[in-house]
Amino acid sequence: MTNEETRQSMSMENFEKRLAHQPSRPVPSEWREEVLSAARQAAGTRHSALDSRPSVRSTLNRQLSALLWPSPRAWAGLAAVWLVMLAVNLATGDKSPTIATDAAPPSREMIMALRQQERLLAELIEPHATPVANRPRPFQPRPRSELRNQILTA
Amino acid sequence: MKMAAGPDLERLYDEHAQSLFAFLLNLTRDEDDTRDLLQEIFIKLTRNPALFDGVRNERAFLIRLAHNAAIDLMRRRGSRDKARERLAAEAPSLFAPTSDPDEQAFRAALAEALGELPPEQRAVVHLKLWEELTFEQVAGLLDIPLNTAASRYRYALDKLRERLRPLYEEMKEAE
Repeated sequence: MTNEETRQSMSMENFEKRLAHQPSRPVPSEWREEVLSAARQAAGTRHSALDSRPSVRSTLNRQLSALLWPSPRAWAGLAAVWLVMLAVNLATGDKSPTIATDAAPPSREMIMALRQQERLLAELIEPHATPVANRPRPFQPRPRSELRNQILTA
Repeated sequence: MKMAAGPDLERLYDEHAQSLFAFLLNLTRDEDDTRDLLQEIFIKLTRNPALFDGVRNERAFLIRLAHNAAIDLMRRRGSRDKARERLAAEAPSLFAPTSDPDEQAFRAALAEALGELPPEQRAVVHLKLWEELTFEQVAGLLDIPLNTAASRYRYALDKLRERLRPLYEEMKEAE
């Protein structure tokens, strides 16, 4: 029988059938209880976790206490200071009417004086135009020959 | 708070554990891993009963869970367990024992040959041969294109046939 004939005889279809007919090993019987009890335990854990799910209020409480717990006295002191400041502010509050409503319109003399002051101020702060000739010229290097001539003439 | 009624675990186990066991054992090549994964699947079902909502084909759904769990396990292990994989390739008895020595030898050789296939080919072969799924179903279950499923199967079967030819021929002649 040649290789080719062997190949032919071992047709794919037969081979597949042969493989498909191999029965798999049965699952060990003791696993049933192990697997199911583990699943039941997980279910119990889930139920108790759901029952003990914290409410929004208790979560807020917990968060706040976690925030304030490290230095409760400092927080209490700060709160007391705020309260004292609030009380003082309320007790000594200025009850007089505001100036803007009570103020009389400025007199003509006052307006004139203000305008004069304004003019004077404008003159004072007006920038002086610096003459172009006085501006410092930027340094420009000159040829050495000119320098030498200057030295010689000096 | 009203709880959603979970799936009937006992019934699910009795109806599908055998299939899941065979599939997981073929994929992981390790009995302890197979048990752990089987347990993981049932725990997952208990913890998320909503997973089963709208499931029409329980077997396909469970096999998909099993496949994902096995792939996760293999990824977690990564390359650090190559030696373990090599050992596993030789080892587990995937098939039921038989009193016929030729048949026994064939089954042992088949288990070994399956271990030499890459897991993705092994998964396709298993689902096609032992779950009797169509390529379309296999592709849908493993989230791969239909052509990929078909080609993986063809390559895998060629390898198996090559590997098992001597034994297979012997048995054919004896028959």
